[in-house]
Amino acid sequence: MIRVDGLARAFHGVAAVRDVSFTVGAGEIHGLCGHNGAGKSTVVKMLSGQLAPDAGRILIDDTPVELRSRQAAQRAGVALVDQELSVVPALTVLENLLLGDIDAPLVNRRRAALARCRRVLDDMGLSRIDPGQPLSALSIGDRQLVEIAKALSQRARLVILDEPTATLTDVESSLVFAAIRRAVAATGCSVIFVSHRLAEVLELCDSVTVLRDGRTVATTPAAELTVDTLIVQMLGEPPRRLAADGKPDRDLAHALRISRLRVPGRLRDLTLTANAGRIYALAGQLGSGASDVLRAVAGLHPTAAGTVELHGRPVPVRDPVAAVRRGVAFLSNDRKSEGLFLDKSLAWNLTATRLPHLVRAGVLRPRREHAAARALAELIGLPAARLGDAVAELSGGNQQKAFVGRCLGRDDVFALLMDEPTRGVDIGGRAAIHHLLRRAADAGLVVMFASTELDELLELGDVIVTMRGGRLVNRYEGDVDGALLMRDMTQRLE
Amino acid sequence: MTAVPVRPSASVVSLALPLIALVALVGLAVTTHRFLSLDNARAILASTAFVGITAVGATLVMIAGSGVSLATSQTATVAGMFFLATQQYGLVTAVPVALVTGVALTGLQGAVIGYWHANPIVLTIAAGFAIGGTTTWFSGGTPVYPEVVAYEVLNSTPLGLPVAVYVLLGVTVLAQFTLRGTTPGRQLYLIGSNRAAARAAGLPVGRVTVIAWAFFGACIALTGVFLASFNTSATATLGGTLTLDAIAAVLVGGTAISGGRGSAVRTLAGAVLIAVISDVLLLRGFSTGIQILVKGILVLAVVVIVHLHATRSHR
Amino acid sequence: MRRRWLVQPDHLIPVVSLVVVVVAFASAPALSGRPLQPFDVYNALQGFAQLGLLALAIGITMIAGEFDLSVVGSYAVGGMLAVSAGATSPALGVLAAVAAGAAIGAVQGGLIARLRIPSMPVTLATYIALLGLAYAMSGGLSKSYPNSDATQWVDQTLAGVFSPRSLLTLAIFVIAAVVLGGTKWGRELRAIGGDRRASRVAGVTVDGLIVWLFTVSGALAALGGALLSYSYASANPDPGLQPLILAAVAALLGGVSLAGGRGAPLGLLAGTLSVALLAQIVAVTALPDFTTQLLYAALLAVIVIVESPGLRALSDRFRARRADG
Repeated sequence: MIRVDGLARAFHGVAAVRDVSFTVGAGEIHGLCGHNGAGKSTVVKMLSGQLAPDAGRILIDDTPVELRSRQAAQRAGVALVDQELSVVPALTVLENLLLGDIDAPLVNRRRAALARCRRVLDDMGLSRIDPGQPLSALSIGDRQLVEIAKALSQRARLVILDEPTATLTDVESSLVFAAIRRAVAATGCSVIFVSHRLAEVLELCDSVTVLRDGRTVATTPAAELTVDTLIVQMLGEPPRRLAADGKPDRDLAHALRISRLRVPGRLRDLTLTANAGRIYALAGQLGSGASDVLRAVAGLHPTAAGTVELHGRPVPVRDPVAAVRRGVAFLSNDRKSEGLFLDKSLAWNLTATRLPHLVRAGVLRPRREHAAARALAELIGLPAARLGDAVAELSGGNQQKAFVGRCLGRDDVFALLMDEPTRGVDIGGRAAIHHLLRRAADAGLVVMFASTELDELLELGDVIVTMRGGRLVNRYEGDVDGALLMRDMTQRLE
Repeated sequence: MTAVPVRPSASVVSLALPLIALVALVGLAVTTHRFLSLDNARAILASTAFVGITAVGATLVMIAGSGVSLATSQTATVAGMFFLATQQYGLVTAVPVALVTGVALTGLQGAVIGYWHANPIVLTIAAGFAIGGTTTWFSGGTPVYPEVVAYEVLNSTPLGLPVAVYVLLGVTVLAQFTLRGTTPGRQLYLIGSNRAAARAAGLPVGRVTVIAWAFFGACIALTGVFLASFNTSATATLGGTLTLDAIAAVLVGGTAISGGRGSAVRTLAGAVLIAVISDVLLLRGFSTGIQILVKGILVLAVVVIVHLHATRSHR
Repeated sequence: MRRRWLVQPDHLIPVVSLVVVVVAFASAPALSGRPLQPFDVYNALQGFAQLGLLALAIGITMIAGEFDLSVVGSYAVGGMLAVSAGATSPALGVLAAVAAGAAIGAVQGGLIARLRIPSMPVTLATYIALLGLAYAMSGGLSKSYPNSDATQWVDQTLAGVFSPRSLLTLAIFVIAAVVLGGTKWGRELRAIGGDRRASRVAGVTVDGLIVWLFTVSGALAALGGALLSYSYASANPDPGLQPLILAAVAALLGGVSLAGGRGAPLGLLAGTLSVALLAQIVAVTALPDFTTQLLYAALLAVIVIVESPGLRALSDRFRARRADG
C-alpha cells in the first residue's frame, strides 16, 4: 500500500507540485493523469527517488520512507519504467532482465535464470521472443515491452509506469495491460500508471487521480469516469479560442507543401500545405508523429520518404545540409544535446548559422559579427552584455530565446520548424518565444511547431492540426475547443 | 533544470594550480645553469620545430572532435621519401609533391571520418599499416637517397634559427587565423562542441572535417620534408615517435580530446613548454628517462585540469 | 539457433579470422616448399604468448567502451621490475610486476571513473610516463636478466608445440572466459560499453567496475611483460607503439568493437591466435614483411567500413529512396 501525503516541490521558487495526496492500495492499478505542467512527472520523480520532496511524505505500507536515489527506491521496492530506457541493446534479452537486478547472484545460474526469464516473457505475452536474442534485434516496441517486463519481474511493491505505451501500437499496449493485470494478481503489487491516453487509463485502472496546477483535483474510481469527465477534471474550464481575424492567405507560392511524408514506424502518409505568414500547430502527444514531421522535413530522418516543397523548390528529405540550403530552419525539442553549443558564447550561438553572411573575402569580419550578434540579442530581448556568456549559464527561457534567435533576421530562411517551443521555459519566457514566432510569421515565414501544451496550441496556432499514432486526425481553423483537441490527441484509434 | 552555481573553489583550483606550477617552473628554469642563454633558447626552439608543425595540424583535427591519428609517423615518412625522390626537379616541385602526398592521404581519412562517421582510431591504424606497408614495398626496404641535394636551404639557420622554426611560426599563424577568422574554422569549433547540434543546424560536418584533416596532412608532410632534409636519407623509421609526440604537445597545450576547444597558439605553447621542461631537466643532469616521465606526468596534469575546468561550468 | 549465434559480429569476426588464417597457415607449405613442422606451430604459439596478455588487457577495456593505451607502458615497466626483482626468485619478480601493473591501473581507473575523464588522454599520458619510468629504471638500455634457469624453463617445449609461457597465457584466457562468461561481471562489462547511461539507470555500479577493469588490464599487461622479459633474458624499456597496435588489431579481429558493448575473452583468444599465425605464415613462407602490414590494413579497413554508422545510414537512405512516393 502506497500513500502520498501533501507532497510539494518547487524549482527556483516556482512550484511544480503544491499539494498532492493520494493512496494506492495493494493490488490496485492507479491512474495518474494531468495536462502539461500539472506536476505528474515531478511526482513520479519523487516516488522513484530522483528528487527529494520539499514537503510532505511518502509512506510504503504505513512506514514513511526517504528515497534518496533511484537505487534506494529500487531497494525499497519501487520499480520505474519511463522514457529513459534501462535496457542495453548490445546485451541479450536474458542478460537485460538480469542487469542491475539486486537479487541476481554473482555466479550465473543459467538454467534457473533462463526459466525465470521465459516465465516473465510468457507472462507479458512475449512467447515469441527468444531470451538468447540480442536486444538490438528487436523492434523499438518490443524493447519497450522487455523494459516493462523487467520492471514487472523485479518483485517490487510499487511499479510506476510513466507513459509506457506512448510509442507502442495498440496491440502492444494490450500486451502491456494483460501483463500488468497478471503481475498485480500474482504478487499483489501496486501500480501507478501515468498516461495521456485517457481511454486506456479508464480501461486498465481501478481508480484515477487527476492533477492540475500541482494539486490533486480528485481521485475517482474508474467505473465512475468517462473520457470527457476526465478531460474536464484535467482542464477545469476547458479553454477555447475565438477565431482570430482571418489572416488573408499570403502568396501561395511561398508555401511549404508536404506530400505523403512517411517515416517507417513513426509517421504514416502525411499531406499538409502550410502557407507563409501563418503559424501551424501540430498537436500531438509523445509518439503521435508530430515531432517526426518536423524532423523529416528538416532532413534528420534517414529513413523518411515523400516529397517536400518550399517556395516552389523541392527539399530533399534525407539531407539536413540540403534542407538548410533550401531555407528550412529546424529547432529540436532537445536544445541541450541537439540545438545549442552549450560551452560556446551567446554570440557564437546566435551567429552559428549565418557565418557565410559575415564574411568578406573569405575572412570573418569581427565588426560585422558583433553587429549581427548585437542586433539579434536586441531582437530576442537579451542584453548585449550577455553576448560573451556561455549559453550553458543562461536560464531555460533565455536559452530557448537564443535558440530561436539563430533563425531570425535571415533572408535565406523560409520555414521555421520548432519542436516544443517552450519546453523547460517559464511563463515570462513563453510569452517572449511566442512573440518571436509571431514576428517570424509576420515577416513572411512559414512557421510550424509541434507541442503538447493546450494553452500554447490555442494561443499561437492559426491552424491547429491534431495528430495521433502517426496520422493526421483533424484540422482546425477558427473557433476551437480545448477539450476537442484533447480528445483528438488522446482518442483510441479504431 | 537546475543550473549548478559555479563553486568558487573549483575555479580557483583550476586557475591557481597551474599558476603556482608555472611560477615554480620559471623559478626552476631561471636558477638552472646555462638556461638563460641565447644558445639554449635557440636549442629549445629548434627542438620543438619539427614536432610543433605537425602538432599544430593535429590541433585542428582534435578541435573538430575527430580525436587523434595513429598514422602520423608513417605519413611523415612517405612524404619525406617522395620529397627526396623528386629532388632532381628542384624544391619547387619536391615540396609540393610532398604536400600533395600528405594532404591526399590524410584528407581521404578525414573524408571517411567526416562523412561516414568512422572511428578515427581504427581507421588511422589501418591507414598506418597501409601507408607503412606500401612504403616498404616500393622502397624495397632500402633507404631513399636523393639524387640531387636541393634541400640544403631547409637546413640553414637564418638569424641562428633553423628554417623549420620560421615555418612553425608561419604555420601557427595560418592555423590560428583559419580557426579564428574563417567560416570553416568557426564551424570546426561548433562541430567539435556538439556534432549532433551542428548536423541539426545544417552545418557541413563532412566538408569541414575533411578540411581539418587535409590541413593536418599538409603539416605532417612539412615535418616529413624537414626530417628528410635533416637526415639526408629516408628509411621507414623517418617518422620516429612523431605520432605520440604531436599528440602530447596538443594535449599539454590544453586542447581537449573531446573537441570544441583549443587553439594553434596554445599547442605551440604546449610544445615549447615540453621542450623547456626537458631542457631544464637535461641541464640539471636528469636522464632521458626522467625527462620522459615528467613529460607524461605533465600531460596527465594538464588533461585533468582542462577536463575539470571544462566540466565545472555546465554539469 | 546456431546460425543466429554465428551471425552475430562478435562471434562471426573471430571465427572467420581464425578459420581463414588457419587455412592459410596449413597451405603455407605450398608457398614455402617445405612441410609444416611442430616447430612452426611452437613459434606461432610463442608469438601468441608474446601478444596474448596485452591483447586481453586492451580488449577488456575496449569491451567496456574504454581504451587503455597505457598497457604497453605497464608491459615495459612490468618487464623491468621482473628482471630487477626476480634475479633469485622469478616468482617474486612476477609478483612485483603484477602488483605494480595493478596499482597503475587502479590509479587510472580512479581518475577515469571519479572525474569522468575520457580514458584515451589519461592512458596516453600514463603511457608516456611509464615509458619514462622504464627508461629511468634501466638507464635507456636493455636490462639483462641473469637467471638463465628461469629463461630456459619458461620457453621449454611441451608436447612439441607448447611452452609454459604459452600455456599460462592460454590458461589466463580460459580463466577470463570463465569469469566473464559465468558471472554477472561479464554482462555488466558489456553493458557499460554498450550503453553507459542505461547501465547506470539499471543500477550497475559503473564506477567501481571501471576501477577494477583498469586494475586488471594493468596487471595483465605487466604479467605479459614480465614473462616476455624472462623469455628474452632482458627487459626492453621501449617496445615502441607496435605491440599496442598489434594488440588492438588482435582485439578487433577478435570481434571487439571500439564503440564497446561487444566481445568476449574467447574471441580475443581467436583474434590473437590469428595475428600470431599470420606473423608465422609470413616467416615460414619468407614473404616480405610488408605483406603483414598490408593484410592488416585490408582487414581493418573492412571492419571500419562495415562498422561506421555513416554506412548504415547510407543503406537506410538507399532503401528509403526506393520507397519515395
